[in-house]
Parts: sequence; C-alpha cells; structure tokens
Amino acid sequence: MKESATFITSASITIFLTGCIIITHDLSAGFRQSLAELTGHHWISVSIITLILFVLSSGLLLGSKSVRKSLRVYDAGLWSTALMAVTLLMILGILAELTARFLME
Amino acid sequence: MLLVISGVAMLYESWIGHALIVLISLLLIIYALATGAMLKGRIKRKPGNIFRLHRRSGIYFGAFILGSFTYGLLMSLQHGEPILVSIHGKLGLIIVLIVILQVIPSLVLKNRASYRGLHKMMGYSLAPILFIDASWGLYNGVATGTKSSLVLLHSISGGLAALALVWIFLEILYATDKSLARARIASYLAAFLVAAGCWIAGGYNYLTAYGSQVKPVILTGPHPWVHEIVMEAKEHIFVFLPVIFFALSITLYIFDRDAFLGEAKSRRALMMVASLALFMVLLIFLMGAIISNAGKTGTEV
Repeated sequence: MKESATFITSASITIFLTGCIIITHDLSAGFRQSLAELTGHHWISVSIITLILFVLSSGLLLGSKSVRKSLRVYDAGLWSTALMAVTLLMILGILAELTARFLME
Repeated sequence: MLLVISGVAMLYESWIGHALIVLISLLLIIYALATGAMLKGRIKRKPGNIFRLHRRSGIYFGAFILGSFTYGLLMSLQHGEPILVSIHGKLGLIIVLIVILQVIPSLVLKNRASYRGLHKMMGYSLAPILFIDASWGLYNGVATGTKSSLVLLHSISGGLAALALVWIFLEILYATDKSLARARIASYLAAFLVAAGCWIAGGYNYLTAYGSQVKPVILTGPHPWVHEIVMEAKEHIFVFLPVIFFALSITLYIFDRDAFLGEAKSRRALMMVASLALFMVLLIFLMGAIISNAGKTGTEV
C-alpha cells in the first residue's frame, strides 16, 4: 500500500499552486485574460487547472518512492496539518487581496 | 430551554431568529444521533449514562423543533404569507410529526423493544430531512426572480455534504470495527454531492445566471462589496473544496483497517482533514447567505 497521506500531500500542493494562480490572476489583468481565453471563462480554466494539478501531483507521488520519501509522505499528521495551514493561508490571502483591491478602488 | 427559544425570538424578530433556532436543532440532532449510535454499539461508547444523554438531547431537540416551527409560522403570518403552502413549510410539518412520533412513545411506553426498529429508522431519516429543509430555508432567502432549481440543488447538496462530513467525523472519533467501511461510504457520498451538486451545478449557475441577473443588482445596491469581496472570494475558494473531498475519500479508501483502528495519530490526521472540509462547507454556506441577502436587498432598493 502506498503511503496513506499521498493524496493529502497532493491536495496540499494543489491548493497552494491554485491559490497562487488565483491571487496572480486577480492582480494581473493579462494573466486573467489568458486564462479566460483558454476555455472561455477564467473560472472554468482555474477549475480545470486545479483538477489537472491534483491528478499530476498524485501521479508523481504515487510513481516515485524517492519523492514520497523526501516529502515525508508517510507522515499523515504532518501533511494534514500542512493541508489545513495552506488552505487557511490561501483563503486569507485571497480575502486580503480582494479587500485591498476593493478599498483602493 | 424555553428561555433560550424565547430569548432568541425576542432578540431577532426576523428570519435570523428562526435560522438560529434551527441551527441549535441541527446540533442537537447530531448529538441525539451520536448517543443513539453509541447505545446500539455502532460507534464506540463514551463513559457515562448514554441513555440519559440520548433521552435528554431528544427532548431538547423536540422542543427546539417545535419552537422553530411555531416561530416560522408566526413569521409567515407577520409577513402576510400563506402558511404551510411552501415545500419548506410542509417539510417542517413532517419534521414536527416525526419528532412527536419519536419523543412521545419513547417517554410513555414501558416496553420499548418492539418500537426500537421504527425509532431508529425515523431517527436516521430525520437528519437528512432536517438538513434538506434547512438548506431549502436558505434557498427561500434568495431574491425572487433569481431562484432556480440549480440554486436549490446547490444549496441542498451543500447541506447534505455537511451532514455526511459530520457522519465521517463521528465514525473516526468513535471508531469501531465497521467504522472505516461506513466512513468510506459517507466520504464517497460527500465527494459526489460536492462535485456534482455544488461544483458543477453551482458553477453552471454562476456562469449562466449570476453574472447577468444577480451581480448587477448587488453592484447597484447598498452593498457592492458583497460581490467584489464575498462572491469573488467564494467562487475561488470553492475550487479548493472538491480537492479536499477527493483527497479525504481516496485516503479513506486506501487506509488500512488495522492502522485506522490502532493508530490514534492517523485517525487524528483524518479528523483534521474532515474538520477542514466541514469548516469550508460552513464558510461557503455563510458566504452564500450573505450574497443572497445582498441580492434581495438590492432588488428592494
């Protein structure tokens, strides 16, 4: 059996990268436009990118023992804490960025 | 208990009071279900007189449901709305009837053995009906003209996903031999509800109806920040939710039963992920309620 926290690790990586994409596309109109051009709407593009990131990171972790070992994927406690921290940080980051933009406008 | 209901009713002479009493009822039914499951040995029994706790929480739950139903009727009369015509009202009546059938025989009957099967069946069916009705109540708050079956599906799926998460949480917290199998079923159900009901249905509604019908109303209304901050954040934060649900489901699927029962640290890790998912569902519910309210306020201006 693969380390049980593989998918929790993968979710943490996906949410971190997706959060960065979301914040960047809110800050850069050009990036937002290019995301919109991909599928017709930036939200659909972000959703599809999120799914692809989750599948890719899960595949990478499942396929490589060395990556799992170096990321300590066997430690479910560590990665569930990381998932919680990354998600809350990204939520706060998105809220802070949107609030700052609203106040500046 | 009656003081709490009256206090809430006096403090909030609006639908907020009704919603608050329902929220307390939801917490009480979860407690009653958990203690009921402990009595039957489905989940691990905690120390103390569980039967007493189950009976007490059942009575409190009944009182709050009756209070909430009466409150809802009074609010409808106050607003000049017809009573018990809406599906939300009819479901409320069904809930009250089930609660009466649950509580009164349990207190009156001396030999409850023959009644236990029905009591268990009604108890377990009460929880989803109550969560559906609560979600329907939230949907009723959506501005007229912007209501659609997709918004309703979005709201009900979220409510049922929250219930499934509570189920997973209880199975992990009070684990027995069959807990992992049941937690897996609950997690598949939750992942399906979040992906199909919340993500796809909600996303489709956001792309096709929200931008043309609700967004302009909120932006020209008294609370434009609701769209600029709350809705913009909700649409993006929401993308995280299916990932967390998928991760939880797959992790439970690959989890070894012996490790699940034997390692408290692993169970704590799973509980943390389930808590995060529940927190996010509740946060998104709150954001949805704020957006609905801003839409309604915008149409009234």
